[in-house]
Amino acid sequence: MKSMATTMKHALDGSTFTVEYPEDAPEVSPRFRGVHKFSQERCIWCRQCENVCPNDTIQIVQDDQRNGEQYNLHIGQCIYCRLCEEVCPVDAILLTQNFEFTADTKDDFVFNKEQLKNVPWYKGIDPLESRNPDRGAWIGEGDGEVDYQ
Amino acid sequence: MSLERPDTTDDAAIERTPDELEALLGDLVVKRDDHLNAPGFVIRPDTVQETLSILKEQAGYDHLSVVSAQEYENRYESIYHLKKFDDPTQEVSVVVPADKDDPVSESAEPVFRTADWHEREAYDLIGVEYDDHPDLRRILLPETWQGHPLSMDYDKDRPQIATLPEHANPLQEHHKDDESDTMFLNIGPHHPATHGVLHLKTTLDGEQVVDVEPDIGYLHRSEEQMAQSGTYRHQIMPYPDRWDYISAGLLNEWAYARAAEDLADIEVPEYAQVIRTMGAEMCRIAAHMLALATFALDVNGDFTATFMYAINDRERVQDLLEDLTGQRLMFNYFRLGGVVWDLPEPREEFFSKTRDFLDQLPESVEEYHNLVTSNEIFQMRTIDTGILPPEVAKDYGATGPVARGSGVDYDLRRDDPYGYYDELDWDVVTEDGCDNFSRLLVRMREVEESAKIIEQCVDLLEDWPEEERNIQANVPRTLRPDDDAEIYRAVEGAKGELGIYIRSDGTDKPARFKIRSPCFSNLQTLPEMANGEYIPDVIAALGSLDIVLGEVDR
Amino acid sequence: MGTAPAQLFPEFLVETFGLPGVLGEVVAALIAAAVVGNIVLAFTGVAGPWAKRKITAAFTDRIAVNRVGPFGLLIIPASAVQLLAKELIVPEGVDRPAWDIAPVILPASALLGFSVIPMGRLGPINFHLADPEVGFALVFAFASIASVSLVMAGYASNNKYSLLGGLRAVAQNLAYEIPLIVTAMSVVLFAGTLQMSGIVSAQTTTLVTIAGFDIPAWYAFVNPFAFVLFLTANMAEIGRNPFDIPEAPTEIVAGYQTEYSSAYFVLFYLGEFVHIFLGGAILAVTFLGGASGPGPESIGFIWFVVKIWGFFLFTQWARSALPRVRIDQLIEIGWKGMLVLSFANLVLTAVIVGVIA
Ligand code: SF4
Ligand code: SF4
Repeated sequence: MKSMATTMKHALDGSTFTVEYPEDAPEVSPRFRGVHKFSQERCIWCRQCENVCPNDTIQIVQDDQRNGEQYNLHIGQCIYCRLCEEVCPVDAILLTQNFEFTADTKDDFVFNKEQLKNVPWYKGIDPLESRNPDRGAWIGEGDGEVDYQ
Repeated sequence: MSLERPDTTDDAAIERTPDELEALLGDLVVKRDDHLNAPGFVIRPDTVQETLSILKEQAGYDHLSVVSAQEYENRYESIYHLKKFDDPTQEVSVVVPADKDDPVSESAEPVFRTADWHEREAYDLIGVEYDDHPDLRRILLPETWQGHPLSMDYDKDRPQIATLPEHANPLQEHHKDDESDTMFLNIGPHHPATHGVLHLKTTLDGEQVVDVEPDIGYLHRSEEQMAQSGTYRHQIMPYPDRWDYISAGLLNEWAYARAAEDLADIEVPEYAQVIRTMGAEMCRIAAHMLALATFALDVNGDFTATFMYAINDRERVQDLLEDLTGQRLMFNYFRLGGVVWDLPEPREEFFSKTRDFLDQLPESVEEYHNLVTSNEIFQMRTIDTGILPPEVAKDYGATGPVARGSGVDYDLRRDDPYGYYDELDWDVVTEDGCDNFSRLLVRMREVEESAKIIEQCVDLLEDWPEEERNIQANVPRTLRPDDDAEIYRAVEGAKGELGIYIRSDGTDKPARFKIRSPCFSNLQTLPEMANGEYIPDVIAALGSLDIVLGEVDR
Repeated sequence: MGTAPAQLFPEFLVETFGLPGVLGEVVAALIAAAVVGNIVLAFTGVAGPWAKRKITAAFTDRIAVNRVGPFGLLIIPASAVQLLAKELIVPEGVDRPAWDIAPVILPASALLGFSVIPMGRLGPINFHLADPEVGFALVFAFASIASVSLVMAGYASNNKYSLLGGLRAVAQNLAYEIPLIVTAMSVVLFAGTLQMSGIVSAQTTTLVTIAGFDIPAWYAFVNPFAFVLFLTANMAEIGRNPFDIPEAPTEIVAGYQTEYSSAYFVLFYLGEFVHIFLGGAILAVTFLGGASGPGPESIGFIWFVVKIWGFFLFTQWARSALPRVRIDQLIEIGWKGMLVLSFANLVLTAVIVGVIA
């Protein structure tokens, strides 16, 4: 019957494990993968992210000169695997740490490039830096075959 | 099926060369079709039972891991992947081609009970028919489904319209006969104790269970087909996280990584292996904590404190995993040839967090023992209920804590070493009770072993010279394994042997991707455990199997 | 006993407001009953939506309700509105009117039990509605009507889980009612009366004095063995962990109440809580000296409340820590263990009482 003593001990020590979200939001790891942020200035419209995405979450529309017109990303369908960030050669698509988003219908989760651009940084964390501190260092490495991870 | 172990003469244990096996099988072998992991013997579809019983009884291949079926341009094919419980590195594949127009092949069920569900699945998804099978029905898809979705001519655009009356109605008409005094009870698909969407067709005699038949497939998400349409290099890896989606992600990823790396002949740097080992064991702790928590829920009732305490501990591991991988459940952290990132900076902080967790773990485990295992009522409820004798467990291909709780000493981390496990000092936990209590105890003790492994990994990683921290081998951007290479590779997942069979066809996507889910085989043993017991024991037995329906149904 | 029985609550009302005749007595009785009933219901109101959540949270390291009002207390009206506003779903094929009566019987029977419980004084008022000669027998009779409700609900629901729950309730009650009452009989032997007030006043003497503290002759101290026996049987009687098998949500999905929703569900819930409090009240009267405690007699009611809440706390505590026993095990404990022990206790008590007298 030691179990009775154990639970009573927990009851009396007064500490709680749960927190009062949202006032007291738990820390998010710097590497956490949340909603995307997109930078049209950086993007070279190579469509690698669109190709790698395992579930067709990214949709890119180009005109006949292969200039980018639209960049749509369904953040409700996305599985947050981060492969798009991984393959992007110019870091134009990034996953911020933002994990809170709401919408009235699922369709509202289709973010266009403006909305993606306006996704705020989370607490000023640079996600790329925290995920891959030496990314810049080894991007140029290797002979010939460059492998972006 | 007799439960006695067949005469295991000493020659069952000896390792035979493929040629000796071929000689043993004699005329049964039509030709050889070796796989990367094992010799393969092609046999005629009407000699399945004969071949398998020779291999089982005379050569000691007592573990039918999985049956994977597929359709080729000119034939259907079922592959029986056999292993030995004593030494899983000794493998053999029995390849059974079946006629393209009339794919009938003999059932292996009389030799291995586990073939029952595996063959039903092959029938359901591919369309191979098994002669002699006791109960050849669809298993994952509804019985009204048209066509076999993984066969070649399957038209996936064709709508599957089945009107309601066409479905077998689980709410049968009132049915009463004077002869029997049993009652039929649907437990699930929505029931607090089914750990997901599982349907148990239960026949009761008062409070006692006469018969129980698990009905699965409610969570079938075509995971195999999804993997078949993803590229090896990138697109498959996010999905294993979603099979056993309850914290066991890295263990699942490792199953795919191991199979694909062996298929494409990729060498993983040692440093990455250590990180993998550490992460995988963290996942194991998280998964076992959840198993403990939900088991307490099943046995204690829904206000038990054990549930919350165990979830708290799981939460702590998940924090570590989040720091490491960037996600709490769907990690996508492994890559072919290594892992995606090194440990988070600052490393010291991560190490000290991990050590803090490991330091408080013994205290928590002690607490669980006080709360659960040493509680008299708990013992009364779980000891000697849900008995699964070792021979039955083997016959059903049960693995993981379920098998080890029945005294089957089988753990792929030790028996078929991968990663960094063979360099580390830890023990395989077994218990001989064969009951619900033993299975729980195995998990609780495995948590301690996992902690030991993590500790050693942390030590190793701390001292790893900076210039040798190579987290990934150089893997070509597009991976095209050789045409028609076949491999079956398994790892020890949280619930048991999690294996992947891949056949490549020279493109960058697998031609066949088959998942051997440990929960699928383990769940098959439920009737053996439950029949004759009381309803609460069935619930406890189900909880002690620790199934995740996402992995059962895939 | 010597002392004249204390003035009961209705009598007090008659006297204070000078209500004349039979009609006056009836009115006084109704008012008194309404007051007591409301007090008890207020307890359950606090207990159900608020205290229970808070207590469970404390055991499981959580925070629980704290948003609505101070300490989250306004969750009580919020929950009430929420529960009552839900749709009442009447499943096909239920056996009416049994299905509709069952949820009324449970709280009603438990409330009835309070009519004979002496809850002690608060100022001039003695919260005791009636004090019949056989009050003690009556309270057990009321308490066990509850199982009728459970069987009725289980049977009438036209649901197999409910049926199992109802059947379990019967089996459990049979197995535990007898040891419960036999153990209570040993108290009656001590007190020599079946009258509630008599049993309470028999416990007011001092048992021993240790270091200046008077330990009162509560039967829990006089006969701790019987107390434990009674406590266990009482837990089973009110169907709380480890004996919540008629409900057993993880096995038979809340058993007899699976099919109930909205107001009916509230009634069941209410009934269960009143039942817990009635269990606590019976325990307090039989073994814990009723309303007695340190301080003047006029705050006895407060002690009584403390005792029944203590019992409530205990049920929640057990709930957090103890596994549920299986139905066959329960029956085995009931018939083979408790019954024998309770008779042994009774015989022993009879002998001791006989020797002393
Ligand atoms: S995170 Fe993964 S799923 Fe989401 S958009 Fe990027 S590649 Fe696609
Ligand atoms: S991979 Fe990067 S650069 Fe290429 S299209 Fe996508 S976001 Fe633009």
